[in-house]
Amino acid sequence: MSAALARLAGDLSPRTRIWLAALVAALVIAPWIVGDYLVTVLILILYLAYTGQAWNIMMGFTGQLSLGHAIYAGLGAYVAAVLFTRYGVAPWVGLLAAMPVAAACGAIIGFLAFRFGVTGVYFAILTIAFAEFARIGFDHLGIVNAAAGLFLPVAQYAHNDPWRLRGSPTMFYYVMLAATLAAFILCRLLITSRIGYFWLAIREDEEAARAAGIDTFRYKMYAVTISAAVTSFAGVFYAFFYNNLFPEQVFNISRSIQMILGPIIGGVGTLFGPILGAFVLTGLAESLSTALTAMGLDLPGAEQVFYGVCLLVVVVALPEGIWPWLARRLGVKEAES
Amino acid sequence: MNRTPMPTTRRRLLAGAAVTAAAIAAPAIVRAQSGPLKVGVLLPRSGFEAGIGQDCQRGVAIAPAILKSIGLPELAIMDGDTESSVETARARAAKMVSDGAQCLVGAFDSGQTLAIAQVAEQNGVPLIVNIAAAPQLTEQGYKFVFRNFPTAGMILSDAFTDQKEVFAAVGQSPKTVVFMHVNDTFGTAMAKGINLLMPKFDMPYKILDEIAYDPAARDLSVEVTKAKASNPDALLVVSRLNDAMLITRELVKQRWTPQAIMSMGPGWYEDEYFKTLGKLADGPLSFAPWFDPNKKLAQQLEAALAKAYPGVNLNTNHVYTFEALLVAADAYKRAGTTDPKALAEAIRSTNITDNASIGGGIAFDAKGQNTKVKDGAMQNRNGKPVVVAPKEASNAQPEWPLKPYQSRT
Repeated sequence: MSAALARLAGDLSPRTRIWLAALVAALVIAPWIVGDYLVTVLILILYLAYTGQAWNIMMGFTGQLSLGHAIYAGLGAYVAAVLFTRYGVAPWVGLLAAMPVAAACGAIIGFLAFRFGVTGVYFAILTIAFAEFARIGFDHLGIVNAAAGLFLPVAQYAHNDPWRLRGSPTMFYYVMLAATLAAFILCRLLITSRIGYFWLAIREDEEAARAAGIDTFRYKMYAVTISAAVTSFAGVFYAFFYNNLFPEQVFNISRSIQMILGPIIGGVGTLFGPILGAFVLTGLAESLSTALTAMGLDLPGAEQVFYGVCLLVVVVALPEGIWPWLARRLGVKEAES
Repeated sequence: MNRTPMPTTRRRLLAGAAVTAAAIAAPAIVRAQSGPLKVGVLLPRSGFEAGIGQDCQRGVAIAPAILKSIGLPELAIMDGDTESSVETARARAAKMVSDGAQCLVGAFDSGQTLAIAQVAEQNGVPLIVNIAAAPQLTEQGYKFVFRNFPTAGMILSDAFTDQKEVFAAVGQSPKTVVFMHVNDTFGTAMAKGINLLMPKFDMPYKILDEIAYDPAARDLSVEVTKAKASNPDALLVVSRLNDAMLITRELVKQRWTPQAIMSMGPGWYEDEYFKTLGKLADGPLSFAPWFDPNKKLAQQLEAALAKAYPGVNLNTNHVYTFEALLVAADAYKRAGTTDPKALAEAIRSTNITDNASIGGGIAFDAKGQNTKVKDGAMQNRNGKPVVVAPKEASNAQPEWPLKPYQSRT
């Protein structure tokens, strides 16, 4: 325990600790200051930060490009939602089933790819293919109401019920905030552990890592299963927050792309990158929408154009992402970020 | 002149942040105020449903003048784009409520509409659903959600009833059909519903074959050949625009004109279908929610749309989006206040008979569903759809069988 705590915070400078504490404090008190609208936007930001963090385990730490991560979130969403709607199983218990299902799916994809040497862009295509299989399969799966969509009952709750994930946006906000912090801590513990160093070695040069005695197959399998299991919680959250699931939307490739935009903008392979990227993309897009409304301009699709411009600017000007650049300016050490 | 740059101290930064936070957190909701009712209209105007969302928006654009002409109060429309995404739909709805919307309208897609409905319920702001067919929307026990659009079950039931009426009017009916449907969310759900409901209606035809195809198909020659090989009397289809055109072209190419094409979805009555296919577009029957061309309000809408958007035929998207605003304006007039709760009560007691869509008017049951709304049967005639059933809403007699494609010039 103490070793884990030491790994978690031991090498953080006082300045970094203050920044972190301030950020967490600001996020904790945010719902008391802002209205429902901004709470909803913050939930979306944290959701993207969380899924970005989960994806980062695959791509950022291990160098395996997955473009089909929606499959893990989708499986998590459907498993928990079906257990809830059909058997009244609480989502937290449903999560215990959702995580192994998503992890098993990740293990199958990983086994097929890593055992048979499917790498790089071919691995990315394989992940897309699996997500598409899932979309088409669920479109015809009666138990989840197929293409007609699975709707969770939305009763009126006078009070928040965190156990059954029924309640106000503020309750969902704190659930997502806790999950994002947990994912951050998990990633930091992983990346500063033996497994994390092996992942980084694989990311930098897989051949060299293998030559150095690292069982690259095993550690890549760890990465894909952990990443899939972590992503599945995002699906459970999605199902209970939005209360409807359509295969066409849940497994769509656009959802996988949405998950990776945060880390790409913020900084792939960094701990703060996915969080910063999610804040920048969603925060600025919402600000743009607000500004356009204030100016009396009605420009549908402006946010998507903005996303595209952001990506372009970051790829051209800051190919490492915003966080490494910002960290240097803030004086945060590379090891801390 | 020299300018001395203001140093960005931490104190200044904090002060600036505090002011910004205060500005964005300031409660913007001012309820029960006088002046026009603030109605937030949420539509998928960008993303994969952009075309339909923008079409619905045309119904919003022509609404103010018509509402004024029939003596209803002015509405202050707040336009919102859901970007065809459930997440954005929910966030935009919350923003509209925080910006002072006293009533919400939207959102074409059932998933997005349900996300908006949760915001409406939490804030006690009425939501009038323009288009969304998932039955669950009005089965959740919501108190602030009202739908002036048929559920999926109602659409299918009416379609079978209207088919029987058409068969009776022409004195003929197909004995066999091949059922072709697009394999996307909508097509699969409709196919499932058709197979479930058809036995209850004792239809005169039986389905010889069911052929599903990909929504992104660029060629349907194999599918049409397969359908032709079964030699059915008619084609039963659930399609979108692109595949409706592909099927028609294949029918022409393969020199096959079935007795009838009966569509239970969009595509066959859309403007682009007429523009692209010209004379070849005439003949197919569509069974869908539609407007009653004999109603005065529908005629007003047609005229207003023709003036504002020349070449655009009035359709479901325009009519039901307009009617959602009609419900809001009518309720506001009767409630006499912008208070959302009073407004919801007024919407609940809505009884509009002079509306534009087919059916007995607009009145909501205890669940918030308009049970008077009906489907229509439309047949393509000379570049536009005419209504051939139900009889009380028709402006033409159905023609049967289809005129052979080869004899059209």
